[in-house]
Amino acid sequence: MEASLLNWMIFTPTIGALLCLIVPGKQQARWVALISSIVTFLFSVELVIAYYGLSAGGVQFETAVPWIAGINAFYRTGVDGLSMPLVLLSTALSILIVLASWRIEKATKAFMALYLLLLTGMLGVFLSLDMFLFYVFFEISLLPMYFLIGIWGGPRKEYAAIKFFLFTLAGSICLLIVMLGLFFLTGKAVGASGNTWVMVSSDPGTLTLQSEAVRALFAMDDGAYWGFAQWAFWLTLIAFAIKLPMAPLHTWLPDAHVEAPTPISMILAGVLLKMGGYALMRITYPFFPDAARYFWVAVAVLAVFGILYGAMCAMAQTDWKKLVAYSSVSHMGYVTLGIAVMTRTGFDGAYYQMIGHGISSAMMFFLVGVVYERAHHRDLDRFGGLWLKWPGYGGWSLIGFFAGMGLPGLCGFIGEIMVLLGTFEAAAIGNVGATSQATVYTLGILAASAVVLTAGYILWMFQRVYMGNEKPEYGEFAALTGREYFIMGTLGIAALVFGILPILVFNLTDPTFTSIMAILGIGG
Amino acid sequence: MEPRQLIETLAVAALFAPLFSAACIILATRRVMFKSAGVLATGVMAGGFVCSVVALVTWLGLDDTSPIVTNIGWIPIPGSEAGWLYLGVLIDSLTVAILAMVTGISMLVHLYSIGYMDGDPRYNRFFGYLSLFTFSMLGIVLANSLLMLFVFWELVGLTSYLLIGFWFEKRGPQLACKKAFVMNRIGDMGFLVGFGILFAKLGGNILLPAVHGGMFDAIRAAVEAEGYSMANPPMWLTMAGIGVFFGAIGKSAQFPLHTWLPDAMEGPTPVSSIVHSATMVAAGVYLTARIYPILTPGAHLFIATIGLITLVMAACMALVMTDIKRVLAYSTLSQLGYMVLGLGAGAYSFALFHLITHAFFKCCLFQCSGSVIHAAHHQQDMRYYGGLGRKMPITMICYGICTLAIAGASLPFTSIGISGFYSKDGIIAGTVNYGVAMQSLGSWGNLFWIGPTVVAYITVFYMARSFALTFLGEPRDKHLHEHAHEVPWTMTLPQVCLAIMAVIAATLPFLKLIEVSEPAIGGEAVAWMQPTEALGDAHNPGMHATHAYLLHGLGWIIMLVLGVVMYRPGMKYAEKIAAIPGINLLYHWAHNKFFFDELYDTIAVGVCKLAATIIALIDKYLVDGMVNLAGWVTRQLADAVGLFDQRVVDGAVNGAAAMATSGGQILRSTQTGRVRAYVLFLFASATVVTLVVVTVVLVSP
Repeated sequence: MEASLLNWMIFTPTIGALLCLIVPGKQQARWVALISSIVTFLFSVELVIAYYGLSAGGVQFETAVPWIAGINAFYRTGVDGLSMPLVLLSTALSILIVLASWRIEKATKAFMALYLLLLTGMLGVFLSLDMFLFYVFFEISLLPMYFLIGIWGGPRKEYAAIKFFLFTLAGSICLLIVMLGLFFLTGKAVGASGNTWVMVSSDPGTLTLQSEAVRALFAMDDGAYWGFAQWAFWLTLIAFAIKLPMAPLHTWLPDAHVEAPTPISMILAGVLLKMGGYALMRITYPFFPDAARYFWVAVAVLAVFGILYGAMCAMAQTDWKKLVAYSSVSHMGYVTLGIAVMTRTGFDGAYYQMIGHGISSAMMFFLVGVVYERAHHRDLDRFGGLWLKWPGYGGWSLIGFFAGMGLPGLCGFIGEIMVLLGTFEAAAIGNVGATSQATVYTLGILAASAVVLTAGYILWMFQRVYMGNEKPEYGEFAALTGREYFIMGTLGIAALVFGILPILVFNLTDPTFTSIMAILGIGG
Repeated sequence: MEPRQLIETLAVAALFAPLFSAACIILATRRVMFKSAGVLATGVMAGGFVCSVVALVTWLGLDDTSPIVTNIGWIPIPGSEAGWLYLGVLIDSLTVAILAMVTGISMLVHLYSIGYMDGDPRYNRFFGYLSLFTFSMLGIVLANSLLMLFVFWELVGLTSYLLIGFWFEKRGPQLACKKAFVMNRIGDMGFLVGFGILFAKLGGNILLPAVHGGMFDAIRAAVEAEGYSMANPPMWLTMAGIGVFFGAIGKSAQFPLHTWLPDAMEGPTPVSSIVHSATMVAAGVYLTARIYPILTPGAHLFIATIGLITLVMAACMALVMTDIKRVLAYSTLSQLGYMVLGLGAGAYSFALFHLITHAFFKCCLFQCSGSVIHAAHHQQDMRYYGGLGRKMPITMICYGICTLAIAGASLPFTSIGISGFYSKDGIIAGTVNYGVAMQSLGSWGNLFWIGPTVVAYITVFYMARSFALTFLGEPRDKHLHEHAHEVPWTMTLPQVCLAIMAVIAATLPFLKLIEVSEPAIGGEAVAWMQPTEALGDAHNPGMHATHAYLLHGLGWIIMLVLGVVMYRPGMKYAEKIAAIPGINLLYHWAHNKFFFDELYDTIAVGVCKLAATIIALIDKYLVDGMVNLAGWVTRQLADAVGLFDQRVVDGAVNGAAAMATSGGQILRSTQTGRVRAYVLFLFASATVVTLVVVTVVLVSP
C-alpha cells in the first residue's frame, strides 16, 4: 500500500499541474497548487509514519516496473534513510512556496503548473532507485526551473536562466558519460539479470546500497576497475558539485538567485541544491569508494576553499539577495567537506547541514523577498531601521539569519559542528589514507575560521538593514500580511525544532548511513 | 525527596526559570505585557535565586559530595565509544557556588533595571533579553559536557549582542554589539579547534568535569596509547587546551581579544553591570576552571602569560580614562587578568573565589555608576562631575565600599579584610609559588608575581581617582550638579545588597565550596604538571590558610590617600603630570588604548574587507568571465560551422542549392536560441569522450 502511496506522491503534483492549466482563473490555479502540495505533503507524512514503524533500515516500499527493456531501464522507486528526510523537507517547503507565490500575477496558471512539475522532478530524484530513472528526473527538474527563472525573473532573467540550464546540463552530461561507461563495462556481468541501473542491491544479505553494477565493477581486474573508477568519480563529482554548487563551479547560482522570483529562490536554495549533496551520497561515494578515498584531500581542499570563498564573496556584496546566495555557496561547502572527509560524523553532519540549510536559506530568501516586494531594490546601503519599522519581522529575521550563521539552538548549528568534528576525526581514525594529521588539522582550522567570516557578513548585513533609524520611504510600505507571517513563522519554528531535536532526522537516517559507511570501508 | 535529587531539581528549575519569563515576555504583545514584564522577570529570577540558595544549603549538608551528573544524549555519534554527544547537568560544589552567585546578581540587576529602564520604548523587550541572557549563562554553569558548554557559550554571545545593541538606533551600540560578537567568534574558532582535537582523540567522550569520570580518564588512556604520559604530554593535548582556552580569551576579554569589552559600555548600564560581573566575562574563567586538569604545563604557561599581559595593560588604561564606565571596564579587564593568571599559575581556588567576590563588587560599582549617569543626565565624563556625594549619599557609600573591596583593603598588618583582599591575596600567593617554580624561565618567572603585586596598588589608585573625581570636591558642572538627585529605591536597594555582599562574601562558604571542587589537589590530576615539587606548594592545602603578605601593611592606604588628594580638585594635577615629557607619551598611548582598535580596524578588518572585495571581483570577472568566454567561443564556433555549412557544403551540392539554402536559413533561425547549439555540442562531445574512455578502459591491460 505504501509503495503506491509513494508513487502517488511523486505524481500528485503532475496531476495538479495539468489541473492548473485547465482551470479557468488565476485564483483557482493557486488553490489547485496549494491543495496538491498539501496532499503531497500529507502523503509524505503518512509515508514517514509507516517508515518509522519499520525496524529494518534498508530500502522500503519498493516499486519495480520494467520500462525500457532494451537498456534494462526500470521504473523503480523506493525510500530509505537517505531520501526520507529530504522528501519531507521538499514536500513541507513546497506548501510554503506556493503560499509565497500567491501574489504572482503574471501568467499565474503557467507558473503554478511549472512549479508543480518541478516538484515532481525533485521528488522523483529523491525517490528513484534506478539510475536511468534518476537521470530522467534530474533532467525533468531542470526544465521547469529554466522557464520559472526565464519568464518570471528579474531584468537579466534570460542570461541567468540559460546559464543555470547550461551549467546543470553540463553536469548531466558528465553523469551520462559515467552511465554509459557503467552500461558498457558491466553489461555482460549484470545485463542478464536486468539490474544494470539499480542503485541498491536486490540481493538480501548484501549491503543494501551496493548495486549489482558496482559489485560487477569491483569484480573486474584491478587496472580496468581503477582506470574507470578514477574518471567516473571525478565526472560524477563534477555533475553533482555543479548542482551543490561547489566553488569554482558556482557562478550560475548568484545570477540565478538574483534574477529568480522569491519563491523560486526559496525552492532553489531549499531543495534543488540538496539534489547535489544527495546524489554525492547516493551515487558518487558508494559507487567509487576507492577513488573517493584516494582523492579525498583534493575534494576536501576544494570544499574548504568553497567555504571561505563563498563567505568572502558574501562579505563584499551590496546586493542583499546576492549576499544570501553566496552564503549558500559557503554553507554548501560544509556539505562537501563533511562528505569528503569520509567519517561517520562528517557524513551525518553533511546531511544535517542540508536539512538545516534547506530551512534557513529558504527563510533568508523569503525575508529578503518580503522587503524587496515593497522597496523594489535590494541595495544594502539604502536600508536601515527595519527592526523599528516591523519589530515582529525583525524578530523572525533574527532567527532566520542566525540560523544561517549556525547559532546553537537553531538548525544551522548541528550540521556545521558535526562537519567540523568529523573533519578532525579524520585525523584520528586514519581511514582516509596515510595523510598526515597536519593536513587534517589545517583543513579543520581553516573550516573553523569560516565561523568568524560568517558572523562578520551576517552581522554587518544585519546592522545595515535592521539597525538604525527608519527611513522616510518606509511609510509607504504595506503592512505585513498574515500569509507572510505564517511563512516566516513556520520556517522559524522549524529552524528552532531542528536546532533542538537533531534526533528527528538521525532516527530516520541511521541504518542507511551505517550501510553507506560499510561500503566506504569505514566502521560505524 | 532525596537531597541529591532535590538539588538537581532545584538547579534545573533555576536554569529554566529565566527561559520561562523570557518566553512569556517575548511572545506576549506589548499590550498584554509592558510594565509587568519587569516585575515578572524579576519575580521569576528571585524564584530562581531562592532555588539555588536552597540547593546550596542542601549541598552543604550532604555527606556524599561527588558530582551529580545527568547525561542526556543529544547528537548521536554512532560507532564512538560514548555513542552520543551529551547535554545534561553537572552539579558539584563549584556549580552550586557559582549558581547562587549568578542567580543572585541577575535578580538584583533585574530589579535595578526596573528603575533604570523606566520610560524606554522597548522596556519589556529588555527584560526578555536580560532573562534570556541569564538563562544562557546558567546553561554554561550547569553544563555537563564541552558541547553543552559551547552551545550556551554561543547563546551568551547572541544575547549579549542583543543587549549591547539594545539601543540599535544609535551608531555606537550598532558597532559595539557587532564587535563584541565577532571578537567572541574569533575566540570560539579556537574553542572549536580545541573541541575538534579532543573529539577526534576521545571519540565523543568530552564530558565534564574533566576529572571524576569525565574526559580525563579518556585523555590519559589516549595519551598513554600514543606512548606519552601525563607528565610528558603530547603536543595535541597542549594545542587542545590552548584552543579551548582561546574561547575564554574571547569571552573573558583577555589580551589580544579584549577590545570589545570597553566598547560594550554602549549598552544600557544594567547590561554592563551583569556582563562585567556574574555572566559572560565570568564564563571564560569558568570554562578554564572546568578544563583545568587537562591543561598541560605548556598550556598553563600560556594562560598565565595572557593573564599577566591583560592585567598590567588594562590597569594602565584604567589610570587615564575619564569616562566613569570606561574606568570600570578596564578595571574589569585587569581583574579578569588576575583570575586568568591565577588559573594559569595553579591558584585554582583563589582565582575562582576572586570571580565570585569580584562579581559582587563590580556589579555594585557599575550600578552605582549607572545611578550617577542616570542622575547626571547621561553625562559619563568624570571631568564634569565632582561633589555628587552630597546629592547621592547612598550611592557614594556603596561605591566607596566597593572601591575598598576591589582595592583589597585590610586592617594594616593583620589578615582581616573585606572580600577582595582574601581572593586577590590568594592569587598573588599562588603566583609567587609559580614564579619560583618556573625555573626554566630564569628570573623572568618573577614577573608573574611582581606584575600582579604592582597592579594591586595601581588598582587602589585608579579606583580612588574615580571615587574622588565623582563624589568628592566641588561640583565642576553647576548645572549638572543642581539637577542630580538620589535614584529610586529599585536602584539603591540592589546597590546596598551588593555592597553588603562585597564586604561579607569572604565569610560565606564560597571559598570552602570551591576548594572542594579543585580537581584532586595534589593528586593524580595535577601531579603531572611540571615542575611537580614546586607546584606542590601551591596545591598544599596548608597554604590556603596563609597569605602572600604582599598586600598587608599601609601600602594600600597610601595609594588611596594619594589618589583622593590628587583628584579631589579635579584633573588639574593630573594634567600637569601628563604634560611631563616622557610621561606624556605613555599617557598618550594609554589614553588611546595602546592603539589596538586602530590596529585591528586597519589590519584585520581592513585586510579582510579588501580581500573580500578582491575575491568578489575575481569571482565576477575571472571565474564568471571564463564561463561567459566559453559561451561566446561556442557561439562563434557554431556560427563558423553554420557558415561552413552554408558556403562549403552547400557549394559542393550545387543541385540542391536552393533547397539547402532555404533549409539552412530555417535551421539557423531556429538556432538563435543558444541552448540548442550548446546541447548539440555537448552531446556530441559527450559521445566522443565516452567512446574514448571506454576504448581506453577496454584496451588498456
